[in-house]
Amino acid sequence: MRIVVLVKPVPDTASGGERLRPDDWRLDRAAIPAVVNANDEYALEAALKLAEAHGGEVVLVSMAGPGAPETMRKALAMGAASGTLVTDEQLGGSDTLSTARVLAGALADMEYDLVLAGADSSDGGAGVVPAGIATLLGLPYLSYAAKIEPDPAARTVRVHRISPTGYEVLEAPLPALIVATQALGEPRYPSLKGIMAARSKTLETKTLVDVAVGAGPVGGAAATSRVVGSEAPSPRAATRVIREPADEAARLVVEFLAERRII
Amino acid sequence: MTYRLSEDQAALRDAIRILADERIAPRAAEIDRTAEFPWDVKELLASHDVLSLPFPEEYGGLGGDLLTVCLAVEQISRVCATSGLILAVQELASLPLLLAGTDEQKARWFPDLAAGRLLIAFALTEAEAGSDVAAARTRARRDGDADGADWILNGSKRFISQGSVADLIAVFAVTADGDDVPRHERLTCFIVEKDMPGFSVERVEHKMGIRGSPTAELGFRDVRIPDANRVGAVGEGFSIAMRTLDRSRPGIAAQAVGIAQGALEVAAAYASDRKQFGKPIAEFQMIQAMLADMDAQTEAARQLLYKAATEIDAGASDASRWSAMCKLVAGDTAMRVTTDAVQVLGGYGYIDEFPVERMMRDAKITQIYEGTQQIQRLVIARALTAHR
Amino acid sequence: MPGDAIWVHGELAADGSLAKISTEVATLARTVGETAGRQVVGVVVGADPAAAAAELARFVPRVLALTEPATADHAAGTIVGQRLAGLIEREQPAFLLTGAGPEGRDVAGVVSALTGWGVLVNAVGVTWDDGPVVQMSVFGGKLTTTSRLTEERGIVTVRPNVVTAEPAAAPGSVEAGNIFGELDLPLVRIVDRVEAAGVAAPIEEARIIVAGGRGVGGPDGFKVVNDLAEALGGAVGATRAAVDSGWIPYAQQIGQTGKIVKPALYLALGISGAIQHKVGMQTAGTIVAINRDPDAPIAEFADVVVIGDLFEVAPALLAALRARAG
Repeated sequence: MRIVVLVKPVPDTASGGERLRPDDWRLDRAAIPAVVNANDEYALEAALKLAEAHGGEVVLVSMAGPGAPETMRKALAMGAASGTLVTDEQLGGSDTLSTARVLAGALADMEYDLVLAGADSSDGGAGVVPAGIATLLGLPYLSYAAKIEPDPAARTVRVHRISPTGYEVLEAPLPALIVATQALGEPRYPSLKGIMAARSKTLETKTLVDVAVGAGPVGGAAATSRVVGSEAPSPRAATRVIREPADEAARLVVEFLAERRII
Repeated sequence: MTYRLSEDQAALRDAIRILADERIAPRAAEIDRTAEFPWDVKELLASHDVLSLPFPEEYGGLGGDLLTVCLAVEQISRVCATSGLILAVQELASLPLLLAGTDEQKARWFPDLAAGRLLIAFALTEAEAGSDVAAARTRARRDGDADGADWILNGSKRFISQGSVADLIAVFAVTADGDDVPRHERLTCFIVEKDMPGFSVERVEHKMGIRGSPTAELGFRDVRIPDANRVGAVGEGFSIAMRTLDRSRPGIAAQAVGIAQGALEVAAAYASDRKQFGKPIAEFQMIQAMLADMDAQTEAARQLLYKAATEIDAGASDASRWSAMCKLVAGDTAMRVTTDAVQVLGGYGYIDEFPVERMMRDAKITQIYEGTQQIQRLVIARALTAHR
Repeated sequence: MPGDAIWVHGELAADGSLAKISTEVATLARTVGETAGRQVVGVVVGADPAAAAAELARFVPRVLALTEPATADHAAGTIVGQRLAGLIEREQPAFLLTGAGPEGRDVAGVVSALTGWGVLVNAVGVTWDDGPVVQMSVFGGKLTTTSRLTEERGIVTVRPNVVTAEPAAAPGSVEAGNIFGELDLPLVRIVDRVEAAGVAAPIEEARIIVAGGRGVGGPDGFKVVNDLAEALGGAVGATRAAVDSGWIPYAQQIGQTGKIVKPALYLALGISGAIQHKVGMQTAGTIVAINRDPDAPIAEFADVVVIGDLFEVAPALLAALRARAG
């Protein structure tokens, strides 16, 4: 099986240092180190497990700025075989539609059985890009997967799609695009072997010229929306600390909730 | 080195830090208390491919350079100096083969060493030959004149790290000692396998620190060694030993930097929590001064180490100078930082409820083995004044 | 007037009723439409849209109900998206509002790709100033941004619990709409539908959430979490640690890789409040935490923190709540 995983480098939320650029209110991606979007790691783990079970390889595709190769190395260290990075100055500030067009363009001349994407990204995660890519490429779209079961011989795939009341079992022909969720299983730590092997794996870079982009303009200049302002939300009032013994503490909490008309 | 670790070096360092914090740190106090070799930690390192770092890829290793190995030793030593030594010794003792072994020898032993199935020790020191390496008395004589004849080994080695748990021992023995033989051409290196008849572990020392790492006295009584186990040319032993130490001293420096870092972190955390006179002691200037000096000195030792490893990997002609410097500075730093860490913790630093007293005991050996600090200074001074 | 209407997509739940989030988005759309002086139209697409359309009509003056049999046993997102895009092409509205949950996002993504319309996502507020002005909470709540579309048409996805659903003074009308043309995009067949035992309404819709973290210690520990949720009439949530340890299903995970929630009350038991979880719940109206560690991050942003053993405090709280009710 050949599985493409879409990965996005995002600012590391654990660092707490995310901010907007003061001049154009775009996300300042240079401010703090980037990591692979957490949801994409789940997608990658699912892909690696599928490749291990059915034979085959996992390749990465990403649209990102120039610092991306460092971040993609970790994904390669987890076990992906190679990666393609679409990077171009014009792409800074791309909106979701532009991102979908560019990624669809990159996928257009690739061969694959499955494309896996994370449910959304932590840096403003819209969760609409995978649906857009599937639409542009005419791929069957299966979202919010808790389980993925391909049948390579029959050229179909079954997916458990999380629903509000449980799940639906979906079936589609291959190739298909699947949105992965955390329910698929924890991503592996890269092994030392994987880390060392990542050094020699190919990460090719493509510019907009190399990628036939699906109908319509792309890039920051073509953005269909822009940020016009930002403000810190009003701070919460100071925390009230209760250290009394359990029964008294419980009484105080009930009083507090009643005051706030919650109960 | 471009003054930053590459992304895979940083990734590797972080991966080993996590492994050390989660799986090795909880065992450190017990390893010290029982003074038993931690086979479980050795298995852990083997199964996570840590022990394969120093070995070439074609023999199943990860082909890590010296800096990469040092990063690993540092992270492990941060939580347990004994455990850090497992990797450091595996690297040290394999260096003679890496530097001078034949392809057949490498193919014979490296796969098992890389996988951690076999452990190897480095036996150079003797009771009467510590700093004075060439004064060794363990001898190997040829059994007959035929080309490729066996060697018969007699003598003993002292203070051999992991000598009692190793499967292979790289032994340096006198093979020629006439007056016409220059001092540095008297030794030859051999690989002794622990099952060879005549090889024995005579004793294991009770030590101040790195107590989980067995330091052994080894006896050789008419041990028959095939010529195929000879490493390098006859008489090349001293050169192999010196080149080995040039590449292995940074490993000890890494252990020392790791110990210092571990002690610093405990002291800083303690100072932030411990309240006296109404506030955390970390707010008192004398403590701040101590912590600041500890941090700056540890960082300086670390940077010198990374630079030295990078220079040695690049084949610098003054490798000996780099190697001696980084080990000198790191060892002294570890001793100073751990001593200050005990001081910061005060009474609590002296008891085994906190790890700093162990770290201080562990640090001392880094000023002694793989060349005492005094020998390091000689090496540096000679390099400095040689051409003048 | 053609060319400037505000449309609202009404999501169908599995049983054919209107999803709760759509009642909120519809209320929001009506309010914005009134300010803007624009028509507001609801659109429902489904195999049997009548019930949902009637419900949606309680919130907006006019609803188009499209009968699309294919959604009976095929994944809806792509189908609904295509029908909406087709309708948009014919009727030429200006804006489309959808929910920001899984169903709404799927539809928004498909419509955006087919129409070339941009999407403003995860709105926590929508106002009007010659076009929709959208507030988004970013960086784990550290910042609220205000954004606009650059063109005169586009899509906005709206988070749950941003407005309280409020029916209009008088119900609107429902018209049956026609579907035109074939569905071009591949259909994904629904082979089976499985109800998970005891799964309540989506946690994003809950007014009160009681959540357990690592401090709960195991699946047994979740009993007191469940009891408290029941006593408060709320839903049960969890941190990633609890889910990854297998103590509770992923559907109830709150945080960066789980759900983002905005309940009136978030009661956190044994949760440290690390950033990855914080981003999922920090805009809750009231946050009460029970934790044994006074230095846990949650103690800094909760409204009330009880320092103590949750296995003592939580049962005491449960008893106090029951006493009050009884």
